Amino acid sequence: MVRVLLSIFFLNNLFGASQDPTYLVFNHFDKEIPDAEKLLIENFNDSKFEFDASIKDIFSDLDSYDNPASSHMEMIKDLGEQYKVNFILLNKIEHKEDRFILDGLLFNTRSGGLIHRRKINLKHYLNGQINELVMWVGKTLGIQQQEWQENRESILFSDPESISYEKTPMGAAIRSLIAPGWGQAYSDKKVSAGVWFGVEASLSLAFVLSYLNYDKSAKGFLSNSVLYNGTDDEKLVAKYRSLAETDWDNHIIYSRLAIALASATGTGWVSNSIHAWIFGPRPYTNIYQEWDNSSKSNKG
Amino acid sequence: MKFIQNYKFLFLLLVIVFSCKLYKKDFDNPVDYNANDDLGIRAPALVFYPKTQTINQNEVIKIESVIVFHPDSLESFAGLHFSVQFPNSLLELDTIKPGLFITDTSNSTPLFTYNFDGSNQIDIYAYFLSETKLNIEGTGHIADIIFNSISTGTDSIYYDLDDCQMIKINDDEIQIMGKRGAEIIIQ
Repeated sequence: MVRVLLSIFFLNNLFGASQDPTYLVFNHFDKEIPDAEKLLIENFNDSKFEFDASIKDIFSDLDSYDNPASSHMEMIKDLGEQYKVNFILLNKIEHKEDRFILDGLLFNTRSGGLIHRRKINLKHYLNGQINELVMWVGKTLGIQQQEWQENRESILFSDPESISYEKTPMGAAIRSLIAPGWGQAYSDKKVSAGVWFGVEASLSLAFVLSYLNYDKSAKGFLSNSVLYNGTDDEKLVAKYRSLAETDWDNHIIYSRLAIALASATGTGWVSNSIHAWIFGPRPYTNIYQEWDNSSKSNKG
Repeated sequence: MKFIQNYKFLFLLLVIVFSCKLYKKDFDNPVDYNANDDLGIRAPALVFYPKTQTINQNEVIKIESVIVFHPDSLESFAGLHFSVQFPNSLLELDTIKPGLFITDTSNSTPLFTYNFDGSNQIDIYAYFLSETKLNIEGTGHIADIIFNSISTGTDSIYYDLDDCQMIKINDDEIQIMGKRGAEIIIQ
């Protein structure tokens, strides 16, 4: 069961007499991070912290708004008034399998807007949550320590040439070029994959049926034309001419339809591949290398 | 490699698309009233079937002489005289037979005869003289003209409308409005 840890702490500036900006900080963690508060206090020892778990959830629906930056302006302003702070800092840490996602948001209580956001998605980063948390908090406070940077750099690739991606946009594009929708499925966009596959399959089927009808009509026209030219019987001439004219009209209609459908199929196929490339999987956070659990450790 | 496979698919798609050949609608059977009408040949018309024949030298060639009426015509005829001109440098007359149109009536076979001038003109005559079958109407096959090919070349066989005549049972003349020749290619 996912456990959400909510804590609120006030940085020293909140109660300090100086004119420095003051911050209200919310920590939302889906799993308990041992010593998180303690390490924050240690790393920002000029700060005064207060912890409160009374607020269960806040700004969780941020990404559902067209403009997240201005989605909760009134609430931010109210909180600013209530706690007498200049900024609100929200730190969310969510774990997915062997990854953790740190989503940091900094709000200005005067405008109520989101002024800075940092989202990090990392894998096999032992105890990296604390290091990334303090780096994020430190960045908002203008404090950076060499140790934090070195910890992060230790997981970065020293040789960019050795970077290999699990999934790439090109991989998605190639797959979609082979089979429409495959690239989208490869990018975990199942609905999009189904739509593309369905559309392309329908167009292809319609094209094949049109072509088969064209072929049948064209052969019928040629056959009836031969019969028409091969008889001197007035009634048969009229009959074969009528059949040939019907087949001729059909072969024109189905030919145009087949060409239109082939164009749509081809265009759709290429578009599907381009779509797969555009919306293909891309690393939106830092590039990482696997953490060696046996030899590395991390401290905030 | 996968790209090449897909280019093959797109190439296949293009091949299929371009294989959608559009045929020209060309109805030109001389027995077809509408085809003749499209060519400005009005009915009743004297035509030959088929319109073109290609044979080898010394082979026999058969040409059908056909009268074409409007499909809705009820006009009947009791006698006719066709005058046919043919290229005697390429063909020599073998024989002439009455066509199915005037012989398949179980009631009566008309008087059928022809005259060849020894050069290049044939006159064909057909008359219904019976009391049970006096006339017929509609489009039909009047005569088969059979030639022997004697040299190579291309020429045509045609009607001389000035000498052609068609009459009703009461001797009223039916005006012949059009004619079509036939092309003969001997190789």
